Amino acid sequence: MKKMLLYLLACTILLAAVIPPFVGYQKQKSFAEQLGVVPRGEVLRYVAADQKEFLAASVVLKVLIYFGGRSQALPNQVQLPVDYPGISRILHSAVKLDPRNMDAHYFAQAILVWDVKQIDVANGLLEYGMRYRDWDFYLPFFVGFNSGYFLKDYEKAARMYRRAAELSGNPLFIQLAGRYLYEAGRTEHAIVYLTAMEKSTRNESVKKNLRTRLEALVAVRAIENARDLFASRFGRQPHSIGELVQRGMLSSIPHDPYGGTFYLDEDGSVRSTSKLAFGHLNQPSTEVTQ
Amino acid sequence: MKNILRITILGIMRDRVFHGITVAALVFGLVPVISQLSMRQVTELALTLSLSLTSFLLLLLSVFLGGVSLWKDIDRRYAYSILGLPLRRSDYVLGKYLGIVSFILLTATVLGIVGALFSYSAIGVYPPNRPVLWENYVYAIFFDVLKYALLVSFAFLFSTISTSFFLPMFGAVCIFFVGSSSQEAYNYVNSPEAAALHPAAKSAITALYYVLPNFGAFDFKTNAIYSIPMDYQGLMLTFVYFCCYVSIVLGLAVILFNRRQL
Repeated sequence: MKKMLLYLLACTILLAAVIPPFVGYQKQKSFAEQLGVVPRGEVLRYVAADQKEFLAASVVLKVLIYFGGRSQALPNQVQLPVDYPGISRILHSAVKLDPRNMDAHYFAQAILVWDVKQIDVANGLLEYGMRYRDWDFYLPFFVGFNSGYFLKDYEKAARMYRRAAELSGNPLFIQLAGRYLYEAGRTEHAIVYLTAMEKSTRNESVKKNLRTRLEALVAVRAIENARDLFASRFGRQPHSIGELVQRGMLSSIPHDPYGGTFYLDEDGSVRSTSKLAFGHLNQPSTEVTQ
Repeated sequence: MKNILRITILGIMRDRVFHGITVAALVFGLVPVISQLSMRQVTELALTLSLSLTSFLLLLLSVFLGGVSLWKDIDRRYAYSILGLPLRRSDYVLGKYLGIVSFILLTATVLGIVGALFSYSAIGVYPPNRPVLWENYVYAIFFDVLKYALLVSFAFLFSTISTSFFLPMFGAVCIFFVGSSSQEAYNYVNSPEAAALHPAAKSAITALYYVLPNFGAFDFKTNAIYSIPMDYQGLMLTFVYFCCYVSIVLGLAVILFNRRQL
C-alpha cells in the first residue's frame, strides 16, 4: 500500500513538472497545428451527419479564441502574425456547413475586410449568407458598405442598402443609399457604419479592433473638416496638417491609434504612415484564399 | 408483448443506463457558458449545443441498446427460456423494440427539457433578435426520436442475422452515417458539378438514395435554431416515410428471427 502511494505521488509530481512546458508548447503551436486540418465544407457536409450546425459553430469559436489570443497579446510579448489565410479557409468551411452561422459572416466582415482588405472574399461569403439568412438586414448592410466604401460600386451599394432598409424598416439605410448615389461623405459614412458594428458585437477582441478603427476615422474626419474649412477661407489646399494647426483650424495634430503619423497627400487627402493598420511595414503577405 | 416491453425498460433501468445519461446531461450546464462566446448569435449557439448534445446522446443509446439488447438475450440464452413460454417470436422482437424506443423517447423528453432550461437561461441574458419558436424545438427533438427509432430497427435487423454484437453495432453506425449523407450525395449527382460523373455511378447513387434510409430528412435543427417556420406538409410526409420504412425493416427482422435456429 505504501509503495503504491509513493508510486502515485511520484507520477503526480512528474505530471505537475511536465504540465508547464506542455502548456507552453501547446500555446506556441501554429494556427494550422492548433486547429488541425479543417477539410472543405463541401466534404465535411458528408461526414457531419446531423451535427453540421455544431461543427460550424465549433470551428468559428476556435477562430474567435485564436484571434482573441493574438490581438490581446501584451505589448512586451512577441506579436506573431495572424494567419488570415487559415482563418478565411475555416470561415468558408463553416458557412458551407451552416450558411446561417452569423458569427462566421460577422467575423469575415469585421476582420477580413478591414485588416486584410479582402473585400471580394468577404462579399462572396456575405452574399452566400444572404441566400439563407433572408430575414437579416445586416448582411446586405455589410455588402452595401463594402461595395460603396471600398469597391466604389455605388449602384450595388445603393441596391444593398435599399434591401437592408426593406428588411429592417430603418430609414437610416435609405439615407445611406441616397448618399451613395452621389458619392459623398465617405469618412462620415464609415464612422456611421463602424459605430453600428461596434455596438452590435459582444466579442471583446473584435470590439477593440473596431474601436481602434473608429478612433482613427474620427481623427481623419477632424483633419478633413479642418482642411475643408481652410480651403473655403483661403481658397487653396493647405500644404500640411501642421499648417492647419498654425492657422487654428486644428488644436493639435490628431493621434493615429495605429502608431503612424497623419499627413496630407498631393491631392489633399488625409493619409497616415501606418496606412491605418498595425505593423503595416513588417507584416507578411496576408493574401487570403477561398 | 406488453410484458416484454415492460421487462425491457426495467432491464435498461436495472443496467443504470439512465444514471449514465443523467451524468452525461451534466454537460448541458456548459451550454450557457459556451454560448456566451458567440459574437452575434448567443441564442442560436445555445440551441445548437442543446440539440446537438441531445442528438448525440440519443445516437449512443440507439447504437448500444439497439445493437446489444437482442444479441445479449440470445448470447446469454435468456431468449431460449422466454421463447419457451407461450409467446410468439414476433411479439418478443416487437416488445423489445418498443421497450427501447420508449426508453429513447423518455430520455429525449428529459434531455429536451434540460436543454431547453439551460438554453432559456442563456437567452434570458442576451435576448435574440428573432423570438425562439419553441414549437420547432419540440419538433426537432421528436423527429430525432423517430430517426433513432428507425436506426434501432436496423440494429434489430442486423441482430437477427448476427452471432456477435459487431454487425448490429457497427452496421448501425455505418447505416447512420451513410443515411445521413444520402441526401447530400443525391443533390450532388443532380447538380451541374456532377456532369463529369459516369452515368453508371449516378444511377448507382440514385438507386442507393431510394433504398437507404434518409436520416437527413429527420433533421429539423435548422428550423429550431434559426426560428424558420415549419412546413407541416413536409413534417407529415416525413412521418409517413418513417412509418412505412420502420414497418418494412421490423417486418424483415421478424421474418428473419422467426427463421433463426436457436
